[in-house]
Amino acid sequence: MRGYRVGLWEALRYRGGIGVLVWILHRITGLGILLFVSIHVVAAFFMNALNDSISTAVTHWYESHPVQVFVYFCVLYHALNGLRVLLEDFYPPLLRYHRELIWLQWAIFVPVFGLPAFFIAQGIVLGTP
Amino acid sequence: MRRSVECNGLEYYLWLFTRLSAIMMLFAGAAGIVYANLLGRTVMDAPAQYRWAFFPIYWHVQNTGVPDVFPLWSNAFWRVCCTILLFIASLHGFNGLRVVVEDYVHRSTLLVLLKGLIVLLFMFVFGAGTVIIFEWF
Repeated sequence: MRGYRVGLWEALRYRGGIGVLVWILHRITGLGILLFVSIHVVAAFFMNALNDSISTAVTHWYESHPVQVFVYFCVLYHALNGLRVLLEDFYPPLLRYHRELIWLQWAIFVPVFGLPAFFIAQGIVLGTP
Repeated sequence: MRRSVECNGLEYYLWLFTRLSAIMMLFAGAAGIVYANLLGRTVMDAPAQYRWAFFPIYWHVQNTGVPDVFPLWSNAFWRVCCTILLFIASLHGFNGLRVVVEDYVHRSTLLVLLKGLIVLLFMFVFGAGTVIIFEWF
């Protein structure tokens, strides 16, 4: 299991197909959620305990619209892909439809992410909150 | 994702924990969003939806247009539930970080150091979150 060393670029060039790409994205979005939640909890803690300017600035940053879109992307992708992995792991016959399930996952993801993201982006462009 | 795992030992239980906690968080998030949107008296914006998804403790969802948040989402029982949910979610997250680190770090001393750091970070985030949930300031 140990002893392989694959960077992001090699993994992207590796022709493992769509399975490798959704796996990489699952990791990146998972780390994104972990980063956001940790920053959020720690900043909220220091804001309540000290009410200092740094945690106030961090709070304003993670409540901004671009971060909202990023977090929404990470959470929705990680949830949908994780659900697919769950179903395939606990009911292996579904692995026959592995590729189709990935396409189904994207078919759900694109509109459910795209619509709110479009409206948030519209708010950024038009300057409305 | 689908790594080869032995069917015993800690690694297997963490593998299983990742899946079971994922089911729990999916249901908790879906329940929060459905509840808020059924009872909400205004159209909720994205941050309000996020807050109801993860997670509804009263100071977190006070300004989202859902009435009577204070008595229902502030009692001790619900705070304990939220603490358990925070524990499960942060363990899911930091265990995932451990899996990623183990895939990329091969020097054993560095790996031990990084794992220790992950445990410390986990304890700090969970501790800080618990303090906020119970408002021990």
